[in-house]
Amino acid sequence: MIKMKNYYLHIFRGVLIILCMILVVMLFKLQVVKGSYYQRIAESNFVRIRRIPATRGEIYDSKYRPIVTNIPSYNLYLTSGKISDMNALSSFLAYNFNIDAEELRKMVFEQRFKTYEEILILDNISYETVIKLSEKVSDFPELSFRSGTTRNYLYPNHFCGYVGRIDAKEYERYKDEDYSLNAYIGKNGLERYYEVLLRGKDGKEIIQVDAQGRSLELFKDNIFLPPQNGLSLILTIDNELQSYANEIFPQGAKGCIIVTDVKTGGILAYISKPDYDPNLFMQKITPEVWASLNTPAKPLLDRVINATYPPGSVFKPVMGTLGLEKGVIDRNTHLAACRGGLQIGNRFFRCWFAAGHGSLSIVDAFKVSCDVFFYDLINHMELDEVYAHTRACGLTDKTGIDLPNERSGFFPDTKYYKKRIGRVTGLSGYKANLAIGQGEVLCTPMEINTFYAAIARGGLWLQPHLLNRTMGTARINREQIEPLKSYRMPWSANTQQIIKEGLWAVTNAPGGTARAINVPGATTYGKTGSAENYMGKLTHAWFTGFIETDKPGIVVTVFLENAGGGGAVAAPIANKIFNYYMGNIERIERTAPIPPQFLTAEEQEAEFGMEMETSSTTEISVPTPELPLTENHPESNP
Amino acid sequence: MINKKKFDFVLAGYLIALIALGCIIIFSASTTTIGGYTNTQNYWWKQAIFAVISLLAVYLLLKIPMSIFELLIVPAYILNILALILVLFTPPVNGAHRWFSFLGINYQPSESAKLLTILVVARAISQDNMTEIKQIFIALGLTVLPALLILIEPDFGSTLVFFFSLLAMLIAAELPLYYILLLISPVISIITSFWWIAIIIWIIVLVYLLLRARLSWITISIASILNVFLSLITPVFWNGLKDYQQQRILSFLNPMADPLGSGYQIIQAKIAVGSGSLFGKGWLNGTQKNMHFLPEHHTDFIFSVIGEEFGFIGSLVLIGLFFLFFYRFINDIGEIRVRERRIAAAGIFAYLLFQTFINIGMNIGLIPATGIPLPFISYGGSNLLFSTLAVGVVLKYLNERGLMK
Repeated sequence: MIKMKNYYLHIFRGVLIILCMILVVMLFKLQVVKGSYYQRIAESNFVRIRRIPATRGEIYDSKYRPIVTNIPSYNLYLTSGKISDMNALSSFLAYNFNIDAEELRKMVFEQRFKTYEEILILDNISYETVIKLSEKVSDFPELSFRSGTTRNYLYPNHFCGYVGRIDAKEYERYKDEDYSLNAYIGKNGLERYYEVLLRGKDGKEIIQVDAQGRSLELFKDNIFLPPQNGLSLILTIDNELQSYANEIFPQGAKGCIIVTDVKTGGILAYISKPDYDPNLFMQKITPEVWASLNTPAKPLLDRVINATYPPGSVFKPVMGTLGLEKGVIDRNTHLAACRGGLQIGNRFFRCWFAAGHGSLSIVDAFKVSCDVFFYDLINHMELDEVYAHTRACGLTDKTGIDLPNERSGFFPDTKYYKKRIGRVTGLSGYKANLAIGQGEVLCTPMEINTFYAAIARGGLWLQPHLLNRTMGTARINREQIEPLKSYRMPWSANTQQIIKEGLWAVTNAPGGTARAINVPGATTYGKTGSAENYMGKLTHAWFTGFIETDKPGIVVTVFLENAGGGGAVAAPIANKIFNYYMGNIERIERTAPIPPQFLTAEEQEAEFGMEMETSSTTEISVPTPELPLTENHPESNP
Repeated sequence: MINKKKFDFVLAGYLIALIALGCIIIFSASTTTIGGYTNTQNYWWKQAIFAVISLLAVYLLLKIPMSIFELLIVPAYILNILALILVLFTPPVNGAHRWFSFLGINYQPSESAKLLTILVVARAISQDNMTEIKQIFIALGLTVLPALLILIEPDFGSTLVFFFSLLAMLIAAELPLYYILLLISPVISIITSFWWIAIIIWIIVLVYLLLRARLSWITISIASILNVFLSLITPVFWNGLKDYQQQRILSFLNPMADPLGSGYQIIQAKIAVGSGSLFGKGWLNGTQKNMHFLPEHHTDFIFSVIGEEFGFIGSLVLIGLFFLFFYRFINDIGEIRVRERRIAAAGIFAYLLFQTFINIGMNIGLIPATGIPLPFISYGGSNLLFSTLAVGVVLKYLNERGLMK
């Protein structure tokens, strides 16, 4: 083959010339030939993708009664790229909507990377304002009113939480999950925990019309992705029981009530007081409102899971079960006699009953809540043993309830004391306090409730939860979302038997500390607690207990901050709830039929078919309601 | 140091002009005007700092002895391969594992891999006593390794660049052209396999060209049978793909099939460039730029800002500048006497030329959106540093060229 020297340089030159020619020709076509066409499109400057917000799922109780719903609202949007006169705009917004110039500038420049996008600058505007101002707003092409939905919280429940506009930090974190700058996001409670289920998926639409509304036909079809609405949550909560518990909660008191279904671990009522109206967060929060939410009574604090307290005597079953398991005591062992207290080292540890209980067996020690029995009991055990047992009882870990920010309880071990006081011996004084649920030990009311539920369940711990299932575009049941954790409590059937006997005596035997409990038709069990604390002079009042019937029972935990003795203050409230439950057991335990808005097409047809059979009349034109899509999602039966 | 007789001041001048132009356009691209208020992000001076660093790096490169430079190439290539593996374990940014981030600096190992692979391949195929077949296989092997790693990131555009420069290097290695033909024939067979008329025409052309090259009957038969087989098997393979896999490939080839993603970007780029018309809207006056319809208009879509603000005339000036640069570059390749360096220079030429063409092509809707930056112009430290260094390597070869080898 004959070759020129460096013949390949000609190939390179050829390729270079061809590629440049291609670019120049294409650019000529685009910029010169079709230049005015694209100029026209650029002037209308609104070829863009519009987001169609998905409707957030609603929240219902176990009988499909609403707890959180969506209501229509009017919002004001700003497209910063269309602003022609910043000063006119800022004075208009300041005069009519109280948005000052600085705030406006901040909003505009925070979004400078999306100048074509509509920013939500004000939500929940009253209809009157919209009517009054819509003409003036039309003078500003950058402003537009749009209707949307906002959250409506029917009850001041702590567990619901609330939603809010996505903030800069959240946006940075979640923008890959297709959140827009205008998105609402769950900030707390179920709204936050189940954000993924509730939010749905926004739809998208390509806008390609010019100023005259003619289609620019840049894209072959008008692409439209419909929004997928969020899933509605069906909770285990019973609205009526929840309302009843709310009603009987002592006026002005601080504390909480938890009612749990023994069989399922589902929570039937969840009260934390004082409470607040989550709807406040749907408006711009004024300094006065903010101050009212941050009083010393801490209405924002969810006392069920976000606070830990000394458990006092409700902790004693932990000690009792360990003593029985370790063989330190049996059903009839009588420990040191109570003479109003017990001398340990150089300190005299008092029993709450100054006259003294004498020498008791474990069942009687529960019944009268004798402290001395437990002082003596822990003296026969290693601290780390007690720590390990408390841990195994689930009292130092989060319960795993489906809510964010849960706190875990605390129980010290020798390592803790080594760090704090520099020694691991001579801890008997600390131990004595721990034995009666005082000192360093802390629990959330939810942990206590879950522990007693495990006793009621014959020693089976089950993860407490609020969500039963979802409804809407997909029906997902509890197990499919996250299987419930469960484990056996660290004790034998014999120990279980003796503990239950003790808890029975508390509410039934003469001299029991919770004789206020009287539930006809059910066997009652329980334990009172009066925990001393640094917060006030009066003790925290605890009662936690359960009832057994031939139907599923419930566990009730009542906790009142600095309210006095558990038997006198907390037990009567629990008694009312037990009796209310017994009076309404048929209704509460009944499975409610799925309401029409959640029926699938087939189910609706089936129902309609039945109606046809009963009333065979003339042809009826059936209105086609919005049919939920059930494809691609696991289907389950209620 | 710089040899006044041998150093190519003109090529260096074009390079600096392109980089300076880049800073000016990045300034405009990162400026937003809202209702009379103007806000410029700091990209332009960051790019100016990168430019100074890059030119300093070229200066350093010219200063170090050639022997040390040549000693560094292979270890650097190996380190780069390791970096390409490690980068796959970084958290994804926009769905791709391309960047290492430390101290606010993002390093993209695929950028350095382009240059280093070219240098290593040039070295490998310039060894003495190598058969042509051996050269092809070694070059292919050294290229496929980094190219595959980059394909996984995924960065399809960069992977393509590797094969364009490989092709240019094999051509510059003065391999008989039928080897090149044999090398690219499977690609053409796959492309033509969807139209039976195209298959027949292609196979006839292939056989004719191979006959002209006077190859043995055995070689021609094997090549033809292999290509026919590939043409026939491709549709079977295609139908075996899952729907979403097919969809992904189709939307890459035809972005308009994905109007909410890359199709949308291409339309927006076309509107911006097209609305620039003949003379453009003027520097800082781009309306499409100001509305931020394109999310990456200071990086991959920088040309849309040029087209919008400087119009057809401005686009011509830029393309003209690139043309002069590349034309000068080709002439310089001819000046280099050492075979290895000449092959490397050809590879660098192809790498820069195809990046330029693919990027501008993408901005005017000619080529699918691939995430390839415009050399010397687009904002981005790794891109600027390594494309400038690539030119620096050629400047070094010219500067230290002997009379004969």
